[in-house]
Formats: sequence, C-alpha cells, structure tokens
Amino acid sequence: MDQNNSLPPYAQGLASPQGAMTPGIPIFSPMMPYGTGLTPQPVQSSNSLSILEEQQRQQQQAAQQSTSQQATQGTSSQTSNSLSILEEQQRQQQQAAQQSTSQQATQGTSSQTPQLFHSQTLTTAPLPGTTPLYPSPMTPMTPITPATPASESSGIVPQLQNIVSTVNLGCKLDLKTIALRARNAEYNPKRFAAVIMRIREPRTTALIFSSGKMVCTGAKSEEQSRLAARKYARVVQKLGFPAKFLDFKIQNMVGSCDVKFPIRLEGLVLTHQQFSSYEPELFPGLIYRMIKPRIVLLIFVSGKVVLTGAKVRAEIYEAFENIYPILKGFRKTT
Amino acid sequence: SYFRLFVGAIIRTTCYHPNHKTSSFQSTIQPKMSCTLPLGFSNCNGHIQYSFHNMACGTGAASFDEFGNSKYQNRRTMSSSDRAMMNAFREITNMADRINLPRNIVDRTNNLFKQVYEQKSLKGRSNDAIASACLYIACRQEGVPRTFKEICAVSRISKKEIGRCFKLILKALETSVDLITTGDFMSRFCSNLGLPKQVQMAATHIARKAVELDLVPGRSPISVAAAAIYMASQASAEKRTQKEIGDIAGVADVTIRQSYRLIYPRAPDLFPADFKFDTPVDKLPQL
Repeated sequence: MDQNNSLPPYAQGLASPQGAMTPGIPIFSPMMPYGTGLTPQPVQSSNSLSILEEQQRQQQQAAQQSTSQQATQGTSSQTSNSLSILEEQQRQQQQAAQQSTSQQATQGTSSQTPQLFHSQTLTTAPLPGTTPLYPSPMTPMTPITPATPASESSGIVPQLQNIVSTVNLGCKLDLKTIALRARNAEYNPKRFAAVIMRIREPRTTALIFSSGKMVCTGAKSEEQSRLAARKYARVVQKLGFPAKFLDFKIQNMVGSCDVKFPIRLEGLVLTHQQFSSYEPELFPGLIYRMIKPRIVLLIFVSGKVVLTGAKVRAEIYEAFENIYPILKGFRKTT
Repeated sequence: SYFRLFVGAIIRTTCYHPNHKTSSFQSTIQPKMSCTLPLGFSNCNGHIQYSFHNMACGTGAASFDEFGNSKYQNRRTMSSSDRAMMNAFREITNMADRINLPRNIVDRTNNLFKQVYEQKSLKGRSNDAIASACLYIACRQEGVPRTFKEICAVSRISKKEIGRCFKLILKALETSVDLITTGDFMSRFCSNLGLPKQVQMAATHIARKAVELDLVPGRSPISVAAAAIYMASQASAEKRTQKEIGDIAGVADVTIRQSYRLIYPRAPDLFPADFKFDTPVDKLPQL
C-alpha cells in the first residue's frame, strides 16, 4: 500500500493493530510540535450511536489530521456539549489506539538514537498498569538538535495521582431533588452547600452546586476526569435538568514519583533558600516552590517527590526534570 | 544616648535620634495631639526600644475642674492611627514575660511586628497571630529558638495559625531563618528537668552523633533531642521517664519511644568518651 511509503521511517514495519478502531491510514503525525500535549480530535456533535457512522467519522478525522499537521497549542477543540457517554468512550479509545501506536514508534526510536533528541526528552515507556492516553508531551517526533545533550534524562516519569476539574452544567439545579433521587449522593446543607456524588468507574467524587457548576476530583488522568464529569452530567440530565457540558477545565493535577535515593534536605534548603521552606516542626518534607513552571514540590528524605499545582501534564514532567539534577546533587552518601 | 519622651509637657523641642534624621516637632498641652516622631528610640545597645508607658497621656495638670470632674472628654484617641500596634506590643511583652524572654528578643519582635504591620501585606490576619509568629522568628534569629509548642503555650493562637503566619512573614519580609538543630534546645530542656551539666553534655553529644550518623532520618530535631535526653538520663543517676521528658519538650512519649528505638542499637558509639555510667550501656531500657 502507498501508506507504507508515506510513513516516517521509524513507523514502518508497524502494522496497524488488529481489531483497532483505526483504519489502516496512519493517524500519527510526524510533525507534532514539541510540548503541545495531546492534539485532541475535534468531536462531531452527532448524537447517534451507529457504529458505521462512528467509523466513517473517524476516517474523516484521520484525513483531517494528516492534512492539518500543526495542531493548535494545547487548547481543547472539543465543542461537543452532548453527553453521550458512549461517544466519549469511543473517542478516547480511538485516541488511545493512536497514542499507543505513536508510543511504540517513539519507543523504538528512543532506544536506538537517544542522542538525536532534545536533552529534555523523557523516555516514553508507559509504566505498567497505565493506558497511555497521552503521548509524553516532551518528545518531539523529529530530532531537534544532532548535538549530544548536556545531561541525560532521569528515566523516571511522575505518575499522576489526582486531577481536579470543573465544568458548568449551564442550568440552575435543585440540590434536594438530586440528593433524594440520585444514588450515592449526600447533601448536608448545614455543613456544605453542595451535593457530594460518587461514581465507581472512574472512581471519582463530584461536588455539584446549585448554580450548576460542578467540581470533579479523584481521576487519575485527564481523559478519565472528562469522562467522569460527563457521567455526572448525564446523571443530572437523567434527573430532568437541562444539563449541558460547558467550559470543562482541568484546574489542578497532582503527580508523584520516587528518585530512589535518600536526600539531604538541610543542604537543599541552604542553597535554594528563596524557593524552599523546610520546617521539621511543621511538616516533615521540604516545600519547594518552583517559579517556572509554577509548581509546588514536596520533597521527602526518603526520596519521594510529590508535584502539584499543574494545569497540564507537561508542567509536571518539566518540573521533575528541572528538580532531578538538583536532587542528585544532594544525594545522601552514607 | 538614652532619653525619655515626655508628651504633653514639652512645648517645642528638637529630638536627636541616632537612627533617624534630625526632626523637630512642636506639641501643645492639649489632650488630643499628634506626634510626628517615630515611636521608637534607641537605648545603649543600639536596639530600638519602644516604651510607651510614659506617653499614654499628658501630665493632666489642667484637665480637671475645681470639683474634681474631668474637663475634657476625649483622652483616648491619642494614637488612634497605631493603637492596634501598641496593643500588639503590649501583648508581645505579656507573652515574653510568661516565658522570661530577655529584652533584646522583645525588641526584635517589636521591630519585626512594626515592619510587617507597615507593609500591610498581612493585614487581614489576626494581630495576635502575627505577634506570636514574630516572637517565634525573633527567638530564632537571636540563636535561641523556641518550639512552636512553647509559643503556643503563651499565646491564644493555634500552632497551625502561628505556622501559617510564620511562613507568610518570612515571605513578606524576604528573610530566612536558620534550620533548628538538636543542640539549640538542650540547655533549656535539661535545666527544666533538673539534670546536671554532665547529663546535658552527654545528651547533646548523643543527639549530635545520632544526626551525623543519620540514624534518625526525617525525624524532627525536637524528637531526637528528647530521645537523646532520655538515653543520657537513663544512663546516669538522674533518671527521667519518657512522660516527664515529653511534657517538657512538648513531644508525645510514643514519639520519644520511636526515636529512642532508632538510636538504641548504636548507643555505645553515641555516648561521649568521658561519660560516667551509673547504668551501663547494655542495661539501658529497651522499649
């Protein structure tokens, strides 16, 4: 097929996985710009659940993708306000399949020619148990500089632990009826002015306010957070309110990782005084407030690091790559 | 030079202040007046000292009529612009008196409070919380840190709020403080427990060695100090229980037990060479 020739050299030899929803056309674009994160697919606003239509729609999107290679910077182009969960899941699976092919592609190359990549490149090996719905946004698909990097990458990828997102359902809600009729909802107006609702898959908690705004917490990835928010909106819609899905925004992301060596926090606070705060009486970890990107890191003696305050995944990765050489300098030598 | 300011009795004077530019001010004998001189003046040590018990009101010589009733009504709005600050200074002095802090720490606290107050970046916070946090910072800066719990004991503010204000003040004044060490607290804890100098020196040595050998990673220096005092006192004639030490140090006795368990295996290496054991090292209690 012609498509094999049009594939970039490092994606050749990869057959499209059997049973994937992607057709044979490679969705993966070699010109994905550095650091944009996932380039999301524009979602058609059709509500029908016909599988044939779904496949046709994906082929259209694939054609669009391969022509429009420079994606917009990070902004979600989803304009759909429909709350069809099935659509949402199909879209995410499709993206997951794309990303897994692109992950394999980058994995193959990163093991062969690491020095061709930018020095800040992470390995894109997905850790076991996580579906890589996003490519590591730090890996450019084309080599940026042929020179040797100044320092090697850490090889450690922070794991996301929590995502907090907000969405506007666009209509006033009657919390009492929601609390009475919905399952797994608690409402105690004297204690807190919102309904606290929980779903099991993805395991998340939502605070639903009477103004129609909702906060969704507990998801482990951006897509899961969006899917969960849609599920909550669907619940509210089924209770009879004209719920929409406006302005979904991720407000905070928390990640954690382990550098696998003990750290001398006293040394770190001496040299990085203007960023660090270490008060053993108040908290056993060192609180490092990084300026760029604006992330707060909790660094512990054991070597565990918690990163929080990010709006996008790339900030967590970038912050960790910035702190790792500093931490290596304060490794305990005993 | 040290001089007192008599408000209300002075018509015109020139105030020479070593730390501020020369200023002259004029006052009239009226109950309501304003003073343009900064409130502080320096004493022999060069510390700015705030003394306001002599500026509360004038001599009052003419403010009563022949029957003994007061002629003027308003005696209180003398320093309305900074009444909150004077209140805070009074509170700081009270807190410091409860734990017998020397005058230089109180002066430093007052200075810090004044700077924070004038900056207005922490305006919404309770003045007592700011004052307590300033007291904590002043003790640290003078090299004799007090634990947060000790400051809590003399203040009505919770440890959480003092901790928050502490971090905010450091950011607002763009200063930093040194990290606390185990040795900072030894002399105070040991004398409160009535332990002799030998035991105190042994405890200091044990705590320092324990931190050097990294036997207690991640433990608060207070807990390590308490465990060291326990070990030293148990090896000497003056034994103290974990509960007593926990009461003095503000540490739970399970915490002392945890840190003690970490340093117990290396006990023979931690004692100073010239220590006279009343209880030998192998007979130390094992918890």
